[in-house]
Amino acid sequence: MRPLRYLVLLLAFPIVLAAARTHETNPMSTPEEFAEGKRLYRINCGVCHGMEGKTGRGARLARRSYRRGNSDAELFDLIEAGIPGTDMPGLWLGEDDIWKILLFVRTFAEKASELCEVTSGDAEAGKRVFETQGSCLACHTVGSRGGRLGPDMSFAGEMYTTQQLRDALLDPGGAVADRYRTVRLVSKDGEAVEGVRMNENLYNIFIMDRSENIRSFRKEHLQSLEQPGESLMPAYGDLLSEADIDNLLAYLCTLPGHAKEDPQ
Amino acid sequence: MRSPLRRWMVCLAVLSCTCLAANEVTNQDLLEDARIGADWLNYHGGYAGHRHSLLDQVNRSNVEGLRLDWAFQERISEKFEVTPLVHEGIMYITVPPGDVYALDAETGARLWRYSRRMPEKLIACCGLVNRGLALLGDRLFMATLDAYTIALDRKTGRLLWQTELIDYSLGYSGTHAPLVVKDMVMVGTAGGEYGIRGFIDAFDVETGERRWRFYTVPGPGEFGHDTWAGESWRTGGASIWITPSYDPELNLVYWGVGNPGPDWNGDVRLGDNLFSDSVVALDADTGKRKWHFQFTPHDVHDWDATQVMVLLDKQYRGEMRKLLVTANRNGFIYMLDRETGEFLKATQFVKQTWAVGISEGGRPIRRPGMEPSAEGIEVFPAVAGGTNWMSPAYNPDTGLLYVSCREGSSMYYKGETEYRPGTRYWGSMFVNEPTVHNWYGAVRAFDPVTAERVWEHRLFQPAWAGLLSTAGGIIFAGSTDGFFKALDATSGKERWRINLGAAILASPMTYESEGRQMVAVASGGGVFVFALPRQAAQ
Repeated sequence: MRPLRYLVLLLAFPIVLAAARTHETNPMSTPEEFAEGKRLYRINCGVCHGMEGKTGRGARLARRSYRRGNSDAELFDLIEAGIPGTDMPGLWLGEDDIWKILLFVRTFAEKASELCEVTSGDAEAGKRVFETQGSCLACHTVGSRGGRLGPDMSFAGEMYTTQQLRDALLDPGGAVADRYRTVRLVSKDGEAVEGVRMNENLYNIFIMDRSENIRSFRKEHLQSLEQPGESLMPAYGDLLSEADIDNLLAYLCTLPGHAKEDPQ
Repeated sequence: MRSPLRRWMVCLAVLSCTCLAANEVTNQDLLEDARIGADWLNYHGGYAGHRHSLLDQVNRSNVEGLRLDWAFQERISEKFEVTPLVHEGIMYITVPPGDVYALDAETGARLWRYSRRMPEKLIACCGLVNRGLALLGDRLFMATLDAYTIALDRKTGRLLWQTELIDYSLGYSGTHAPLVVKDMVMVGTAGGEYGIRGFIDAFDVETGERRWRFYTVPGPGEFGHDTWAGESWRTGGASIWITPSYDPELNLVYWGVGNPGPDWNGDVRLGDNLFSDSVVALDADTGKRKWHFQFTPHDVHDWDATQVMVLLDKQYRGEMRKLLVTANRNGFIYMLDRETGEFLKATQFVKQTWAVGISEGGRPIRRPGMEPSAEGIEVFPAVAGGTNWMSPAYNPDTGLLYVSCREGSSMYYKGETEYRPGTRYWGSMFVNEPTVHNWYGAVRAFDPVTAERVWEHRLFQPAWAGLLSTAGGIIFAGSTDGFFKALDATSGKERWRINLGAAILASPMTYESEGRQMVAVASGGGVFVFALPRQAAQ
């Protein structure tokens, strides 16, 4: 965290910081403290973050790094004070209990790195497949390169399990987020348009077409509107060899790569 | 012999008294609120909970000409759920977490602001919200998030008195607009997700002294105490967070009561858990319970009964009855006799999968296997219910009841829980799984006696906005995707809409200012006020 941001945090919560935390690093470590932290997490945090830190309306905790801070002290303060302007409340627990929760939450990051296991594939070869043979960059961004029709894969290794990535490659229509569902429509002028659904309300639908143009249509003016729920992505089982897919998975699991900085 | 100066002084004194009297809100004004129309003096626009105005300047023939007249904006990161009050040209609103503003109702100009100094940490499950104020005399009343009832001078915003409900750090708070009846202001406590023991207080409007208290979770020796296993009554929840309705003739106040705690794990509170998920009819003078009716005994889905109780006098089975009609979060519209609490009828109004039906006595016949589990179970309606706290409306001209509906399901999980004062006491979690295909909302019009659906106006997402009915034949509605709209009260046809740019999470109201009908609704961080252009309004 940059010094200025630290200063802002200090100014925002001077009393909380002064009153609550007496350690800079987590003093908890025993199996008993871990078990208690797990129990407290399930009661206080799992509602929003999911019992394993992966699902729910709260931020995903099963990550190797966090946007709002990564040190024990920073995470303690977030848990203790909450995040103003969001649904994240502060916890009215004693210092020891918050440290115990953090002891348990830290295991999510370990699981995050286990999520996407670099297996037998060759990551370098996988990168070549991603950028050339597979044409993945046409729709997916990695870092500052790539297209925007599909999900940003810059943090694929932290966001998805190996199995989720394999499933997405072999059966792209299996689990498509709303933002990436295919939309096919015919406008009032007879133009057939295909793209992904960016947003929708009762009156309009907004899509990104295959050329990444963002377009808005009044539903009542359309000749037809289909939202089949599938993905624009082809099934790569028919297009790549098993070895290529293994390599591709190995590459995706390395993302974002240790040298890369979180762009957020 | 009287001097001319003395006569002038007497005249001035009489005039000033007359003006003062004219400016004060009287109990008679509150009783006639729904029949006057120019002002909006009570959260519901009248004691009966109709949210219907007699103003008809904006009507089916001209509503397309509605324009934004003024807006009030404030930096608000919380949900803005207020219904403004208006009296004699001044609008009063609450702004979360603890501010009150007086605005010129014609222009939106600020007249004064009261800003409450709040504790560092407020405890509220679902946002630091406040839904509005109550008025009597020259006083405004507010329930605060730090669990006080306060009275302000409505001309200056000066704090006149404040009475603590209970220690807020235990999870108690005040979020609903109070109800004034006679010389009392009534407030219930929110906090049903924190292991509170809910109650309702009545205070003297002049002094803030407590007149009576009614516990929504009965204590030892009280009726209903045996519906709580062991010591579970101490943390039973049953909060209050919506303004009740009131029948002056019967002198009964009808309070919708919230969920039992912990929400999704009922093992620690075996029994029906009275008076959670109930309506309780309390004698306004004494706070004594005359009757109660429980919609969802031993609730494990978080289906508070904090919906508006709509009071109607209608023919039912050949007999004129004093009815109470309410669309409940559990997916059924109920009709009760409001004198006795007798159950008359329940009709499903959204998709629900938890009950086979409602028995003749009004008790749900549960479908097996629909309780939360460790593995999770999908149940309709979703945890927010088939409707929620947002106001319905009743139009006496069409005879229809209008309800903001929510269609969809949640995954309900059951888990371990432990009570610690001031912390969440939920008993695991729910997971909303909104999809385009599964979730949607609707404004629906029902015959309140037969519960037959007359029309539906579909919304893209489940509704969080309440409804306003007017004598102009318009139903004003809001949507989660930000549209404020006017629907034909008879057909449901959309007549006008505007995108306010943020979800509408409040119920609209209307008033008259300098000869024009104004329609106001909160959205995002603002209150937006609409009217016909001056020429069109004349």
